[in-house]
Amino acid sequence: MDNVNARAIAAWSAACLFIALFTTNPAYKFLVLAAAFTALAASVGIRRLHRLVIGVAFVSTFAALLNFVSAHLGSTVLFALPDSIPAVGGPYTLEALAFGINGGLTIAAAIFSAAPFSLVVAAHDVLDALPRVLSRSGAAIAASMNLVPSISRSFSEVAEAQRLRGWRPRGPRSWADVVVPVVLTSAEGSIQLAESMEARGFGAGARTSWERRPLAAADWLLIGTAVAAVGIFAFAHAMGAAADWYAYPRLSLPAVDPLGLVACLLLFTPVVTWRPRG
Amino acid sequence: MATARLRELSYWYPRGATPALDAVELEIGDGLTLVTGPSGGGKSTLLRVLNGLVPHFHGGRISGTATVCGRDIIATPTAQLASTVGFVFQDPELQAVYDTVEREVAFGLENLGVAPRTMHDRVDRALAEIGVEHLRHRRMRTLSGGERQRVALASVLALQPRVLVLDEPASQLDDDGAARVLAAATDFAAAGRAVVIAEHRPEMLSRSATAVLAVDAGRIDGRWEPKDDEIPTQPRTVPGAGAWTLTDVTAGHDRNAVIGDVTLDGRQGEIVVLTGPNGGGKTTLLRTIAGTLKPLAGKVERRPGRVAYLPQNPAAILHRPSVRAEVDLTLQWSGENGDVTAIVESMGLTAVAGRYARDLSSGQRQRAAVAAVLVGRPQLVLLDEPTRGMDARARTALVRVVRALRDGGAAVVLATHDAGLERELADRVVEVCGGRAIETNAVTA
Repeated sequence: MDNVNARAIAAWSAACLFIALFTTNPAYKFLVLAAAFTALAASVGIRRLHRLVIGVAFVSTFAALLNFVSAHLGSTVLFALPDSIPAVGGPYTLEALAFGINGGLTIAAAIFSAAPFSLVVAAHDVLDALPRVLSRSGAAIAASMNLVPSISRSFSEVAEAQRLRGWRPRGPRSWADVVVPVVLTSAEGSIQLAESMEARGFGAGARTSWERRPLAAADWLLIGTAVAAVGIFAFAHAMGAAADWYAYPRLSLPAVDPLGLVACLLLFTPVVTWRPRG
Repeated sequence: MATARLRELSYWYPRGATPALDAVELEIGDGLTLVTGPSGGGKSTLLRVLNGLVPHFHGGRISGTATVCGRDIIATPTAQLASTVGFVFQDPELQAVYDTVEREVAFGLENLGVAPRTMHDRVDRALAEIGVEHLRHRRMRTLSGGERQRVALASVLALQPRVLVLDEPASQLDDDGAARVLAAATDFAAAGRAVVIAEHRPEMLSRSATAVLAVDAGRIDGRWEPKDDEIPTQPRTVPGAGAWTLTDVTAGHDRNAVIGDVTLDGRQGEIVVLTGPNGGGKTTLLRTIAGTLKPLAGKVERRPGRVAYLPQNPAAILHRPSVRAEVDLTLQWSGENGDVTAIVESMGLTAVAGRYARDLSSGQRQRAAVAAVLVGRPQLVLLDEPTRGMDARARTALVRVVRALRDGGAAVVLATHDAGLERELADRVVEVCGGRAIETNAVTA
């Protein structure tokens, strides 16, 4: 999206991540998640979020279930498995489930908060926004990210070609016949890319940048609200208002404080400032 | 005065027992210098000496002297030579750093610390010089191979090098893409600058070349002519029973149809050649016949038996410790008996049969992959752009093997842009364009 500056996005993402990771209160985490999701949906559309939503749902559910299965703490027992069963035996509690869901919520909020870097702006916009001292590292990272689609394509092609040669998946070791050629091909691709970069002067000295876009009024608004959100939330927390939440020993509802709520609502600013892609 | 001068230059790759370049004496002047020679002969190594990738990037041992435009290459890091020697590589997929054309062309200028205002001017000029201004705001991933390679060329020309080096820049491209890239290189040479180009289709450049070098076994070896072994023409066998049938087939990816309502069949002992532009649906059609892509609609039928499928980048499958082991693996997996020695020999790989395939030259690797896929007695043989990047020798070997398979009763379907291959092998020609498959002619014996 060419109407958003990557530095403004960085400020907003940092504010979202600060609140999502700073508090243990699921109400605020949920508000951050809602702000990030709504902002993304408003700028790139729901359809482009389809795969991200599925991926995040999978990871978050896994995290929630892992805690539910492994933490046998809390007082509200839902059911119990015999203690003699290794690893999973013991009581299964409502508190452990709630704590797991809170963990999943944290992961989801964090991923959606960082997602604008790949969905809303192009990689080169992020590079342009980096301080000059990081420019070379940024270019190297951008180059390596360009290899990701080719690795994914290579995996499908090699698996298909090996299958037609007669290969069949028979246990984890058999996958070496697919994974090894893909890794080798990717490594060779990386070497060729590195050759190409060096041949075009990469590492020759101080770099310049094609474009460092100035911050527009909408970008300043976003940065301002992000800073305000962090300040208000930190202040409220310091005053004991935006309270944390603990699932153990007995489950309770999370408290919501007006100041904390205002801080989270400020994170919805991009819904207004990020115009949809043309 | 010579633009590049190499004196008694020898080079050994790390752990290399024999020199990849052996006491090379060479002077390169302005104009277009065409570098020819067999696969694995040392062409790519020689080109990489000219911008210092050999030895600075690849390591190894070097002796002798090498200068380009008066600069000592052996003492100067490659990155420092970028504005003197521009280098375009073989694979257009593996040169892009940025995701848009404009930025990609500016990449080298950013590295050299060129001021933004000058950078914009030079990007404009480079895009215009190659005739790709219309691609300026396109995403790199949306470009065809030919377009990507022209952008790679523009990104090098933006550096305003004195010498332009191209390592088989058209080997991965269709004829149209190849012609455009080579024309751009020829124009650069016509402007009075030095162009050194290795090309496996030298006939496309021989008229424009001011000098032709042959590199064989690491030596500059006079003029090299590809040794195209005569392939005896044999009367074509009469096609047998039906081997595969597509009835009203629609196929594609993620529910987006790439081919639609295709009805087509092939018989045993017959070669069907699929032609048509990039993106027309040839690969989709092949994969549908192979059964690796389920049709969205319609019916696909195949006779039982092994399917041999050669993908566009066949060397990607190689991973066994030797060429022989790679070929043997297919027989092991498919439970077939086959003559490993015979196919290794027919692909001209006997001398390297015991070596790790990925240590071989790109042409030898490709032949190793062809041997690994086509060994045994497959009933259905599907080949996707099999001559892409192949040198003349590999191509001849491929023609021989495919004919033998056809004459042995296999049904063969191959997708190609190579008009020569079509003439040499086709029993029937089907043009695949815009998702439709239209039989254009049936070649009679």
